[in-house]
Amino acid sequence: MNAFGSVLRINLTTGSISREQVNEKTAKEFVGGRGYGTKILYDELPKGTDPLSPENKLLFVNGPLTGQAAPAAGRYMVITKSPLTGTVASSNSGGFWGAELAKAGWFMIILEGKAEKPSYIWIKDDQVEIRDASSLWGLNSHEATDNLLKQVGEPQARVACIGPAGEKGALLAAIMNDKNRAAGRSGVGAVMGSKNLKALVVRGSSRPSPENAGEMQSLLKSSLEKIKANPVTSQGLPAYGTAVLVNILNQLGAYPYKNWASSHMANADLQSGETLAQNFLIKKYACFGCPIGCGRITKVGERHGEGPEYETIFAFGVCCGVEPLEPIIEANYLCNEYGLDTISAGVTLAAAMELYEKGSISKEELEGGPELRFGNGEAITYWTKKMGLLEGFGKKLAQGSWRLCESYGHPEISMSVKKQEMPAYDGRAIQGIGLNYATSNRGGCHVRGYTISPEVLGLPEKLDPVEIENKPLWVKIFQDLTAAIDSSGMCLFTSFALGAEDYAAFLKAATGFDYDADAVLQAGERTWNLERLFNLREGIQPKEDTLPERLLKEPIPDGPSKGMVSRLPEMLPEYYKLRGWSEEGLPTREKLDSLGL
Amino acid sequence: MIRVLFFATFREYTGEKETSANGVTSVEELLRLLGRRYGDAFESHVFEGNTLSSQAILMVNGRHIAHTGGASTPLKEGDTVALFPLLGGG
Repeated sequence: MNAFGSVLRINLTTGSISREQVNEKTAKEFVGGRGYGTKILYDELPKGTDPLSPENKLLFVNGPLTGQAAPAAGRYMVITKSPLTGTVASSNSGGFWGAELAKAGWFMIILEGKAEKPSYIWIKDDQVEIRDASSLWGLNSHEATDNLLKQVGEPQARVACIGPAGEKGALLAAIMNDKNRAAGRSGVGAVMGSKNLKALVVRGSSRPSPENAGEMQSLLKSSLEKIKANPVTSQGLPAYGTAVLVNILNQLGAYPYKNWASSHMANADLQSGETLAQNFLIKKYACFGCPIGCGRITKVGERHGEGPEYETIFAFGVCCGVEPLEPIIEANYLCNEYGLDTISAGVTLAAAMELYEKGSISKEELEGGPELRFGNGEAITYWTKKMGLLEGFGKKLAQGSWRLCESYGHPEISMSVKKQEMPAYDGRAIQGIGLNYATSNRGGCHVRGYTISPEVLGLPEKLDPVEIENKPLWVKIFQDLTAAIDSSGMCLFTSFALGAEDYAAFLKAATGFDYDADAVLQAGERTWNLERLFNLREGIQPKEDTLPERLLKEPIPDGPSKGMVSRLPEMLPEYYKLRGWSEEGLPTREKLDSLGL
Repeated sequence: MIRVLFFATFREYTGEKETSANGVTSVEELLRLLGRRYGDAFESHVFEGNTLSSQAILMVNGRHIAHTGGASTPLKEGDTVALFPLLGGG
């Protein structure tokens, strides 16, 4: 159990700080991270809790591998009830913050209540303090981080914080760590802001110790060889970052254009990873212990920062009909500084552009700001800033596309699932990813079950993206494996080169638990089912396992995937059956018993 | 005329973003022609011996050739062929 550290529980209302031990049974069954955090949230959060009330809980959870000698093992999860979707929120982030928390001896932080005034938490190994953050309130994530490192007098400390978006309750607010890394999705930053909590600053002085250090070193060596031998992790991602996907998705006709009006853009190469590398890249960025280094440090004019990722280029670029990279990069920098989820922010702007062009949003409402027209690069930077500060029309934008569109009587224009904006792959042209979006436990999300690997890239084998045969099985396997990887503390990108047996071997060496590949997949399935139970308890019904009508009924009008729609209704029954759920999409008692739930 | 688009590292092997070809009727014929045009650096990334490399992604008009007949995929006037190295992201 040495790999885990302790549980830190802080009640911000009362100021109480306590240490708890990790539960061995829960740790073994749920691995850690996403799984363990979901178990705590399910057990402790009363049904119907208002996500932005003091009663909601905000959990920061490492995996047993976070901070360990495993490749890219610097990930942590933020678990809470989402104010955007009403579902469980589980946002994953890299950088160095999670590893630093592990070095300080902590596995998880459970935050409860609400501080009386703006506060931050300072953790130095065993010493934990709640401190006044009144002077930091209003600062962006970069300013706050620099200021906090001076305040604690530890330049090597690591900061996770919110920007103005989280402080003011933007439902698209992220929690930023190490300035530019984000636990981005589902509005977790707004939950932190609702607790009057600006930041968690951490400094640790010892490394977590695995049960079998010799085996860990041996596994590290062999897994690094696999990562080096894999062209995705050794060449494509290091050279071009995730933005290398722009051209391939566009060539496939699955690159959603102008709020999914189409799925192909003639000049996509202007915003590709190749163009980014040639014209804007300063150097690459690698998170804790990462041999891949997919992050991009870029420069535009006098500004420099991190990004954009593929998803960000899609959201502010093709989805808003914006071609050049300059405004997309600037919008990315603003999201990092104000603390916004780039996917939801960009897709919300695209929805606003459609509403504006169709006459639902009037010019007067924009109060002299740039017109929300597709292709207007000035609009995406201006309105991202307004969204991050919740100023003027930015207040409406900050509530996300579903609430925005619903307020104008057109919820169908919101390209979201369970009120969370969909990412950068068109589920009409790639059938499996559409099923994954529809069934994702946190709403529209690609990294719950990244079937792009087999459907587009051919990893581990090539599936035809337009066919539906066997897709429900692939979606289920990818969802279960991803839940386990998210629980381990390793980065999902290692799965381009590693498989379930590799994660099982690392987890076994770190924890001493007798994991094999099947046990790891079952732990993922257990987590998936518990997330489902949480959502059902909160009133999220199976009928919400669907896609926007546009994807189900409006064929792609042009490009390589012309004529296609999602065949979700044909796949969903088989998916439920494979999950061991009823025809109505409810987990059966038999299935839950088999998982020990 | 068949339009050929190069992406990512294929731009390094060829020194250009796109080219065109005439008089070829299959993907394999096209790649052999391009191999003669661009030399070993290109050829070694599209062929492993006499078979297509598993580390290249080829599309004809937006369809991966794994689903259209592999190297035998027929080509006709006006087709667009796209070449990528094996890549990934998220």
